[in-house]
Amino acid sequence: MLRVDPLRNPEPLIRRVYGYVAYRIGDGPDAEDITSETFERALRYQKSFDPQKGEPLAWLIGIARRLIEGRPPTLELAIDVPDRADAGDLEDDTLRRLAHSGAVARLEPRDRDLIALRYGADLTARQIAEELDLRTNAVEVALHRALGRLRETIGEPGDPPVRKQGTGR
Amino acid sequence: MRHKRTNLESELRANRPEPSHELVNRLEGRVREGRRSRAGSFRVAFAGALAAGVLAALASVGGLGYAATATGDAVDKAKRTVKSHGVLVVHKSPARDQYDKPKVKKKKKAKKKAKGRRFARPPFTG
Repeated sequence: MLRVDPLRNPEPLIRRVYGYVAYRIGDGPDAEDITSETFERALRYQKSFDPQKGEPLAWLIGIARRLIEGRPPTLELAIDVPDRADAGDLEDDTLRRLAHSGAVARLEPRDRDLIALRYGADLTARQIAEELDLRTNAVEVALHRALGRLRETIGEPGDPPVRKQGTGR
Repeated sequence: MRHKRTNLESELRANRPEPSHELVNRLEGRVREGRRSRAGSFRVAFAGALAAGVLAALASVGGLGYAATATGDAVDKAKRTVKSHGVLVVHKSPARDQYDKPKVKKKKKAKKKAKGRRFARPPFTG
């Protein structure tokens, strides 16, 4: 049987794993360590990859999730969102990125995980459902609610109530 | 509302934290290195498996004995070619049996000195 190399094209995988990890635990050295460790484990256990069970990215995200969950609780997310007053030298998008990261950091772990899987790793709802052992529909609803709570955290004006969002889909 | 939601989603995607170039390069290098070493070990394993397969196939049809005999013959021939030898002497042949009986050396009889009268020149008569 011809073996598939899940790390054939590593660069986009690195970016998406890092995106997921950074949304989960914050951008920085810790996220880099977890990403590195994810790829080390992937190389070590490459034979365990089964293309019939999912794509390489989903497999890597599974490894990263286990690593994050196995971390000591002292290493919790700590993202400093800069004040508007300090934003003079920062580019607009950088400021927005930090604001988003900070808002994601303030979410409940489950919401944070969903947001990180959907927008950090860019997994589809179906892939997330497989990863979390849920139904696709349940993932879509949960994501919708998480986005609503994130919107509340960011403080976007005119946000609809979260509960209505979840039931209205 | 729909527009706003889409906007937040696209912003979350667009503002996804990016790894540093250094991390990307380091991990890419690490993956390449891992792939190379795996390919090397695969090549060795493949060569070993191929050799074992060939040996098993040969053994199943008696090829090993044949190969051993052929090798022995080749060594003999090589020895014969390299070794310098003189005239070929056939030690056992019908002709040799018949004609090449070992000669018995005859002992030369020592001349006996004539005792008594010895042949001599006839007496001068005259």
